[in-house]
Amino acid sequence: MIELKYFLLISACLFSLGVFGVLTRRNAVNVLMGVELILNSANLNLVAFSRYSSTGIDGQMFAVFVIVVAAAEVAVALAIVLTLYRVLNTVNLDRADVLKR
Amino acid sequence: MNLGNLDSLTFFRPELILLGGILLVVISDIALKGLRNLINPLLTLAALLLALFYTLQTDHGSAMTLFEGMLALDNFALFFKVFLLVAGILVLLGSLHSEELASVHQGEFHALLLAVTLGMLLMANSAHLVMLYLSLELVSLTSYVMVGYLRSDRLSNEASMKYILFGAVSTGAMLYGFSLLYGMTGSLDLFAIRDALLAQEVVGFNQVTLVLVVVLTTAGFGFKTAAVPFHFWCPDVYTGAPTPVTAFLSVAPKAAGFAILVRFFLGGLSQPAGEQWAFISGIDWPMVLMVVSVMTMSLGNIAALTQNNLKRMLAYSSIAHAGYILMGVVLLTGTGLKAMLVYLFVYLFMNLGAFFVVTVIFNSEKTFELEDYNGMFRRSPFLAVAMSIFLLSLIGIPPFAGFLGKLYIFGAVIDQGLYWFALVGALNAAVAAFYYMRVMKHMILENDDRPPTPLRISTLNRALLVLLLVPNILLIVFWTPIDRWAANSITLFGGL
Amino acid sequence: MSVTDIVFILTAIVTVGSAVVVVVSRSLIYSVFSLLFTFFGVAVLYVFLGADFLAGAQVLIYVGGILVLLLFGVMLTHRLYNLNLTTERFQPVAGTLIAAAVFASISLAAFKTKWKLVGERELEPTTQQIGEAFLSSYLLPFEIASVLLLVALIGAAMLVRRRTDV
Repeated sequence: MIELKYFLLISACLFSLGVFGVLTRRNAVNVLMGVELILNSANLNLVAFSRYSSTGIDGQMFAVFVIVVAAAEVAVALAIVLTLYRVLNTVNLDRADVLKR
Repeated sequence: MNLGNLDSLTFFRPELILLGGILLVVISDIALKGLRNLINPLLTLAALLLALFYTLQTDHGSAMTLFEGMLALDNFALFFKVFLLVAGILVLLGSLHSEELASVHQGEFHALLLAVTLGMLLMANSAHLVMLYLSLELVSLTSYVMVGYLRSDRLSNEASMKYILFGAVSTGAMLYGFSLLYGMTGSLDLFAIRDALLAQEVVGFNQVTLVLVVVLTTAGFGFKTAAVPFHFWCPDVYTGAPTPVTAFLSVAPKAAGFAILVRFFLGGLSQPAGEQWAFISGIDWPMVLMVVSVMTMSLGNIAALTQNNLKRMLAYSSIAHAGYILMGVVLLTGTGLKAMLVYLFVYLFMNLGAFFVVTVIFNSEKTFELEDYNGMFRRSPFLAVAMSIFLLSLIGIPPFAGFLGKLYIFGAVIDQGLYWFALVGALNAAVAAFYYMRVMKHMILENDDRPPTPLRISTLNRALLVLLLVPNILLIVFWTPIDRWAANSITLFGGL
Repeated sequence: MSVTDIVFILTAIVTVGSAVVVVVSRSLIYSVFSLLFTFFGVAVLYVFLGADFLAGAQVLIYVGGILVLLLFGVMLTHRLYNLNLTTERFQPVAGTLIAAAVFASISLAAFKTKWKLVGERELEPTTQQIGEAFLSSYLLPFEIASVLLLVALIGAAMLVRRRTDV
């Protein structure tokens, strides 16, 4: 059986890549992809711990809810991206900065 | 006592009413085309009032958990439920005559307001990480849409975009923290987590991991309460959102964020020791949180000094107030918690009041710039006096309600012998006085050359202003019930 | 080294490798498509962990739903004839440093922490267990999740609606 720590290592990779993507990208859709990586890494952790650290399936249940929320969040985020695009004709975050003064 | 799914329904009436309200508003929005503009606000108001009525009626005896340990029902949760429902009602009334929202169809707005209130009620009494995450996301998701409600307005869109990206990242980090906590304890239930942590005596590297958990989860809670260093979204979002939504965001989700913060840290990661709590991990957490609190209030106040846009200034001021409220939390005592509740309660009326004046002035003037507030006293003495009272209350000058909040917070801090902390708070309050007074100076003393044309205020808005003024003036006289209520409300399930 | 180990290592390489492409690629389309491999990789890892239902849900919802949504987002916000779907980067140094620090701390935590471990368990099908949990101890989150989806539906539809009068 594969040890727990290797799963955690993969999830750590995904999480930090997600953080990197969020910090370095200026395209909103790209930032969303970074967020998806972060959510996937957390889910992988939850499922791994559900297998190794608990007797129930609590971790898997949590992961199901995370998937549901992620889908809802992406739908709303893309709706906002589309509305902004209609007003601004760009999805680049540095051009959407009237608010910064 | 732990109740199962069916038995819990008796104690779940407020939430069920809100849920019914959401569905009715959605249906009436489609079915009653002609009447919906009249019916929808009434339905929403009825749902909120009825939910408030049943919350006040709730008699749960001792603290217990509902729905197989998903929710904790205790006095602490009840305080926040009443608080959040009152905030919802006031914001609904304040949004009725708002020119910003009048330009768009409002059917969804009312459904969203009910949904976000439902989410916040659940936030206040979640006792399980799944519930905590879901309710927080319900509130966040709804607020993103509410911020972007003026969809043809560039600022509103931009604010909404920044809000959702920042929110998604911070809740993602929080989720990762939860997953690590699950790995350490093998449980998702807050009380089981605490028991597991106590049983295994967190030592060695596990302490470091627990620190990591706290840092990651604080990202999520700090985002909701707009505490430094998770406040970056706050000024932009508050400026871009429709003013009634801004008023709402600055009070209700912030309070719900504090409820969840207290429940997570005191209910899950600390152990009660007499009148005080002690964090399980060996690190000096109160010290760290004190630094966060000091930074939050100082940064908020200093940034507010130079703002000329009223909404932006109030945004920074609400960051500063989060710092004051945090002062009560970090003491980890019952007195501190009580001070935090009192402060939140008076903050509700003074902050909503100040934002409401901004809404009313925008209705006729279409501006948030401080310059344009010149000569307001001559145009509408009532409005200028009302704004002055709200601002004086925000400063904390007696005899207004804000003084009561400051008194409790600083009293609790001094009670613990933390004189430097109280001093920093007092200095901050002095800095804050500058920019609040600046607004008053513009409204009352500065006049422009134009002849003063009287400002139109609708009767409903006038009545609501009076409604918000009353607690600001009278709470200082009738403070005993508040004191008793707050003192009763610090009972946490599994805590003090 | 058994076959299982080799498959695991391959899956790990594909998952992490494609995640790297997602965040460094300059082309949006490349990013979206490598995200597909990351999601698939994670689904395979779920199988390794005995989470059959979740592996299915991962493929159906992430690959079938979220990824398609993201693709729509890319396509709708760029004129289709304008195939220059590149994306710029900013703060690469600070971003790398922060990400490296994050990676160092959480991978150290992954290896050094004494996680709670329970003995090895038999792999069982989880679908029935999950279904039963939805209707017993997780009934309330299940219902609240449906409220959340309703709100997302109302919100997203409201935001993208063009006309102001309906």
